Parts: sequence; C-alpha cells; structure tokens
Amino acid sequence: MTTPHAEAANNTLPYEPEKATLEGRNKVLGFWLFLGGEAVLFGTLFATFLALRNQTNDGPTANELFHLPLVAAATFILLVSSLTSVFAIQAMHRNRPALLRNWLLVTVGLGLGFLILEIYEFSQYIRHEEFGMTTSAFSSAFYTLVGFHGAHVAFGILWIFVLILQMSRKGLTVVTAPKVYVSAIYWHFIDVVWVFIFTVVYLLGKVG
Amino acid sequence: MTTDQHSPEGGIKHRHRHEGPQRHIVVFIFSIVLTLIAFAAVAAGGVNATFAVIILLVMAVLQVILQMGFWMHLKDKGHLLPIIFMLGGFFIAGTCIVMSLYWVWWD
Amino acid sequence: MAQAAHTLNPSKPLGHGHSVKRHTGLMDWITTVDHKKIAILYLIAGGLFFGIGGFEAILIRIQLIKPMNSFLDAQTFNELITMHGTTMIFLGVMPVIFALMNAVIPLQIGARDVAFPFLNALGFWTFLFGGILLNLSWVMGGAPDAGWTAYTPLSTSTYSTTHGVDFYTIGLQIAGLGTLIGGINFLATIITMRAPGMSFMRMPMFAWTTFITSAIILFAFPAITVGLVLLTFDRIIGANFFEVGAGGNPILWQHIFWIFGHPEVYILILPAFGIISEVIPTFARKRLFGYSSMVFATILIAFLGFMVWAHHMFTTGLGPVANALFSVSTMLIAVPTGIKIFNWLLTMWGGQVRFTTPNLFAVGFIPTFTMGGVTGVMLASAPADFQFHDTYFVVAHFHYVIVGGLVLGLFAGLHYWWPKMFGRMLSEKLGKWTFWTFILGFHLTFFVQHFLGLMGMQRRVFTYLPNQHFDVLNLVSTIGAFLMGVGMIIFLTNIFLTSRKPADAAADPWEDGRTLEWSIPSPPPEYNFKQTPLVRGIDAFWKEKTAGHTEMTPAEPVGSIHMPSATMLPFLMSVGIFIAGLGFMFSRDEFKSDFVGFMFNNYLVTAIGLLITFGSMLMRSLFDDQGWHIEPEELEGEQI
Repeated sequence: MTTPHAEAANNTLPYEPEKATLEGRNKVLGFWLFLGGEAVLFGTLFATFLALRNQTNDGPTANELFHLPLVAAATFILLVSSLTSVFAIQAMHRNRPALLRNWLLVTVGLGLGFLILEIYEFSQYIRHEEFGMTTSAFSSAFYTLVGFHGAHVAFGILWIFVLILQMSRKGLTVVTAPKVYVSAIYWHFIDVVWVFIFTVVYLLGKVG
Repeated sequence: MTTDQHSPEGGIKHRHRHEGPQRHIVVFIFSIVLTLIAFAAVAAGGVNATFAVIILLVMAVLQVILQMGFWMHLKDKGHLLPIIFMLGGFFIAGTCIVMSLYWVWWD
Repeated sequence: MAQAAHTLNPSKPLGHGHSVKRHTGLMDWITTVDHKKIAILYLIAGGLFFGIGGFEAILIRIQLIKPMNSFLDAQTFNELITMHGTTMIFLGVMPVIFALMNAVIPLQIGARDVAFPFLNALGFWTFLFGGILLNLSWVMGGAPDAGWTAYTPLSTSTYSTTHGVDFYTIGLQIAGLGTLIGGINFLATIITMRAPGMSFMRMPMFAWTTFITSAIILFAFPAITVGLVLLTFDRIIGANFFEVGAGGNPILWQHIFWIFGHPEVYILILPAFGIISEVIPTFARKRLFGYSSMVFATILIAFLGFMVWAHHMFTTGLGPVANALFSVSTMLIAVPTGIKIFNWLLTMWGGQVRFTTPNLFAVGFIPTFTMGGVTGVMLASAPADFQFHDTYFVVAHFHYVIVGGLVLGLFAGLHYWWPKMFGRMLSEKLGKWTFWTFILGFHLTFFVQHFLGLMGMQRRVFTYLPNQHFDVLNLVSTIGAFLMGVGMIIFLTNIFLTSRKPADAAADPWEDGRTLEWSIPSPPPEYNFKQTPLVRGIDAFWKEKTAGHTEMTPAEPVGSIHMPSATMLPFLMSVGIFIAGLGFMFSRDEFKSDFVGFMFNNYLVTAIGLLITFGSMLMRSLFDDQGWHIEPEELEGEQI
C-alpha cells in the first residue's frame, strides 16, 4: 500500500465527493427516499410476523427453536461489518482508495459470514426440527421476514463487490463516490433492520 | 441537470477537519453494550416478561437512533428531508405494528 | 424529439467529445429517457388499458340491463368485475396521472429534466409489462376472479384454483414496482430540481399535489408489495399466512390490503385536486384562493389517508373501540377536503370566468366530487355502514369520487395541457360534446346506484330476480354507461382529428397561463428551458406578465446543456422481470413437453429472467452514462 500522501497527490477529489455533483446529491437523496419505503416494507413484514408468531400449528415454537449463541454471533458479525463500512467511508473522505477497498472487502467478507450463519441456521431448522416454510403460519412468517433480510444482505454483498471491481478500474471519482456512499447507507440500514429482528424475532421469541 | 458552469465545490479551498475513528468506535461499543444488555435480560431468565420486553425495545430503539444518527450521518447538517422521510416510514411501519397487535386477533 | 424541428447530425461530434447516437422510430420510443416522451408513452399505455377497463364495464352493464339475464355466466362476470376494478385503478388512471405529471411537473418547476431520467423510463416499462402480464390472464387460463381486493380466503389456492389470482399478484407486483420508482423520481425531482427562486411555497398546486402523492406512493406501495408476496407464497409455495387450518388469519390480508388501499385512493384523487387548482385560476383570471390552506389541506389529507384504512372493515367485527376510532378519523377528512372545495369556489367568485372545455370539466368536478364526498361521510358512520356494506351504495360512492372526481380531473388536465404536450389544440366544440355526454352519462349510471344499494342490491352479483324494484334503475344505469361510452368515443375522435391538424399551438394557447410551462414553446424543445428561469413569486409567469414582460427573466447565461443518453436497459430490465414473473407463476405446473417442464419446474425460467434484469443493472452500473451536450449555437437556431 502506498502512503496516504502519495495517494492524495494522484488526483484531487473534493471533500465529501459523494455530494460534489447534482447527480451525486440526487442519488443520495433518492436512496434515502427509497429507504423510507423500505422501512414500511419491513414494518409490514414485522407486523405480519407479530400477528402470527404464536400460530405454531403444533409445530416447533420460537422458544424451542432458537439458540441464542448463534444469534449473538450473527449479530456481532453484522455489527462489526457496519463499523467497517463506516471506516470505508472515512477512508473515502480522506481520498485513500486502497484503504477504502480494503475496508469494503472486510465488510463484504463479514456479510458473507453472516449469510453463511443464516443459511446454516435455516438448514438446521429444516433438517432437524421439521420446521419448513409450510409447517405453520409462524414458520411462514419467520422465513419470510428473516429471509427478506437475508436477501437484502445477499444483494448488498453483490452490490458492494461490484463497486470494488468498478473502483479498481475507474478509481475513486465523483461518479463512483456517491455509489459507495449510498451502498454504505444501505449496509447500515440492513444492520438497523437486524437490530429489530434479533430483538423482536429471537429475543422476544425466547421471552414468549 | 448540470451545465458546465457548475464546477465541483471542491475547487473552493475549505479546511475540513476529518473526524477520526474514535467516535465511531464509541458508537460501536455502545451498540455492543446495548445488545449485551438485551441478550442478558433474556438469557438470565427469571426476569419478569413485561419488564424484559420493555428493556428489549428500549435497547433496540436506542441502538437504532445511535447508528442512524452517527453511522448514517443523519445528525449531520443537510439531512432534514432524509429524517422527515425516514420518520414517515417508521410512523407507517408503527401503524402496521399497532394493527397486528390489536386488530388481527380478538375474542 | 421526433416531432420537434430539432435535428442533429448523428455523425457530427458534439461538444466535450461525446458523440450522440440518435434512434428513430420505434427504437426512439423504447430507448427514450425524455420525460416528455415518457409522458406520451404513459398516456398511450394508460389510454389502452383504460379502454380495456371501459369495455369490461360495458359488458358488466349489458349483463345487468335486465333481471335474470344470461348474456354472461357467473364466472365470466366475476372475472370481468375483478379485471375492471384492477385495470382501471392500477393500469388505467394511474398511468394517465403519471402521464400528466411527466409532461408538466419538470416544466412547472422550471427544470430541464427529472432527477432520475433512467429510473423514469424504468418505471414506465415495469408498469407496462406488469399490466401486460395481468391482462395475459384472459388468454392463459382465466382472469383473476376474486374481486379487485382479492380477499382471502376466496383468493387462496383452495377457492381460486386457476392461475387467475397468480396473474393478479405477480402482475400488480411488477406494475407496483414501476409506480414506486415513479414516486421516488418525482419526490427527488421536486426537492432538488426547482428553478432558482421557486421555494416550496411558490410551487404551483399541481406540483404540490404531485409531491404529496409521490410521498403517499412511497409509504403505501411497500405494504401491498408485502401483501402480494404473502399471497403469492401462500398460493405457489404453500405458505400459511392466510390458511386458517395452519394458524393463518384472513383478516391480516384485509388489513394489509387497505393499509395500502386507502392511501391509494388519495394517490388517485390528490393529483386531480392539483389539476383543478391549476385550471380554475387560469380561467377565472384570478390567483388561487387560499394557496397556503390548500397546501396544508393536501398534507393533512395525506396524513389522515393513512389513518382510516379499517373503515373498509367495519363489518369484520373489530369491535366498538376500533370502529369508533376509524369512524372519527374518516369523518375528519371531510374538513381539509371541504377547505379545498370552498377555495375553488372562492377562486371563481368575482373572477372573469371563461367556460372552456378544461374549465367545464373542472367546474363539473366540484359538485360531482362533493356528492361522492358526502356519501363518504355517510359510509364513515359505522352503524350505518352495516347497512351500506357491499351494496351498490358503495359502488355509487366510489365511482363518484373516482370517475366524478379523478376522471373528470384527468379530462380537465388532458384538455388543458394537450397543446403543451402535442403542440395542437383539441377542438373546443368536440370537447364540450365530450363533457356533456360524459357527465350526463356518468350521473345517469351512478346516481341511481345509490338507490339500488339502499334498496338492498348487493355489489358483485352477476344477476338479480325481477320485481324487486331493481329492474328500471338498472336499465337506466346501463343506458348511462353507454352514454359515457359515447363521450369517450367523441374524445377519441377529437384526438384523431386534432392529430391531423398542423402543430401550431402558441406557447401560451389559453392566453391566461400563470405557471412556467406556458412560458416555453408548445411542445417544448428537448431541453425545456434554454435558460433556467428566475422565479419571483407564486404563478411565476403571470407575475412577469403583470410586470409587462412577455417571457421569464433568465437565471443563467446561455450555455451548453447536458442531456442524458437514450438507453435500452430500462426496457430490458422490465422484460427480465416479466419473464421471471411468468416463470415463477408456472413453476408448479405440469407441462406436456419435458423440456418446458424442466425449465419451469426448476425455476430456470425465473433465473433467466432475473439474470436479464440483474445483468442490465450491472451494465448500468459498470458503464457510466456520460450523456451529451447541446451547444449554444444549436440553441440559437431554435424558435424561442
């Protein structure tokens, strides 16, 4: 890795490059609007889950299914990945593309770890607990809510990975910077949704 | 649409102070602590259920406010509209939750 | 722009070294990202679906013209009422609303384009392919037949055994995606693209209602997205959200549907309010009365619109507390709506009113919509609703607000902005014929339905017994429906005859234009404004006129204008989603051909569709759109 000063000398990027152009500012604003809609999307999914969480149809209940250590591990991984994506944006603001790339790689790696844990968890339920999508209203609501979040994580991983590839070709510019910034906002939002999932689905499931 | 007269604001010389990683690590530690409290309240057992639910929800909301404020930059200047639209989204989401708790099942 | 005199030599390299590829003919329309062309696409597609929905309505009315009629069987009738409601709301009027928004909003706020031209095109194409998918049901094994509300358990696989409801869920899912994209685009456009000096409180009312409507879209559509996903999962992969036997709850569907569905009706009516608020001041030659109270009322209606959904569910047994709560919140909506009605009346009061076609529709809107509002307050009373529920009284009510409100508003807007969109004035004479036949036909059709409902005729019945006092009123209603059809045919004739006339409309063809769109040529050049205008007050153009100016004061010198490139990708993405939707829908079917079965049953068709969509997204992300520039010397050639 080159020294930060050498990197900064290579190109002159404005402070907060994500807001340097009107297109960039529009992108950030438009993405926030989209997240407002996403809040309603997950709100409706949470509402569905809360309405059906005790409808177990003689299948496994939340209390029987969930293992807190696994959830705690997943939570910790996602929380750390949120922090690393903050570091990525800080590196971007300092115009240090190599550092930015490294932090994004760490974020993507942690996201993959979270996803693997989730797939492992689901497969355990399906194979050993006879708890599938069709078992009960509770199971349908559980898989749909947590699965929607998992799909968001998967999409985020692909997205950030594409951005890493793009930056390796185009570098950090006023075109790529808003994309990176927006993907970081998205990643934090995924983490925020997970905070509610581990609270409402797993911990409340244990409390009953 | 930009015309070419608009040059990036970067041309103007500002002295920007880059914020360090310290405050984000503090937010991270707070998040971990709030998460631990929530997990502990459940794992410990014996906690009154209603009390546990209140603790869980307070911890979740605190953590979300922290992360959205600092990590998603909502506390920074120029974020009024994102805040308005996020609050709007959360408000409608809350309406859905009220619906699911009170008006789906009844005796 | 195909019809504009503006032609560029494709081989000539433009400024900044980007050469621009110009498409012609069909490719031009498929690849366009120009909001004015997308407006025309929305208008054509919306008009087509509106025609289909109208034809379905005529068939319904023919079946009901006399008791015990056997023109249609019960199954076909159920499919027709379902598709009539779904088509009209999601595929008929919403695109026409988006057509007017696209045609007018950037011009009204003094912008050269929308915030996201690419997404704008994507929104149109997803809407169109969703609509096509839904209507394919007619030729692919039966249309949905569970009503436009698709209430569970009727719409679950137990009771709706054909693919009809699958076409409904997947088709609306795709079309809804397009609407959501459009909503976000207009929110961002109005927030960031306003001309210098145009503060929020100087925006024309149509821009305000578009802004608020888009916010409602943003918060309401994700709810139906989830609802449709749940119903799709129940029907296709055997989930149990609404299956009572496995612990599900059908009431949940009603809640989710109406948490979306009630805001949806405000999504429909608020743009009409905006149109009326533009047309009435123009033809009264007076500033809109109570502008800030209009803004406030719009915001209040949007907020209350989210708080009233359970008034559709008074008879499900939510209990007295919930019913009282939702009764009161519903009645509250009458307050801001009343403010609007009085503001329009007071705008006309003392004005120099000209009864042009747009103004006729606007003036006809006021009493007609008020009647719909009054029956709305009647329905808001929970005890009375137990009598009205699921009768023709409800049918009369919502047709008064949607047709008597929104559709009259759309007619007003189309006649008003037609010269701006196409450069040709619609014939005033035929326009007035349209108005009188349509509004007379409308009242004839739906006024009598109030009484049919009060006398006990239920909605959605495919026939009725004679001698229950239903016979004459149903006959009258059907005659009215045909009269509305005549009005539509006159309107189409008007469009056809107008299209053969030369495009010679003046920039300000109504001569009393108040807002920015009338300060530029009809139709506007591709870049809208040669120089971004400086806005000095409400009704910016009128303000300049009263100061003795004939055009706006520019806010910038003449310069090179950056334009976004045309692209095929929005179309391809929508094709991908369309294929994926069809693939998912038929994933559990048996096929004669082994290969086809293999492709569908292993979700390979879905995968191919998603691959096309995500591949297009990847292309969009990897290859930057540099856009192209129109140079000042090319602008000078324009007639401005």
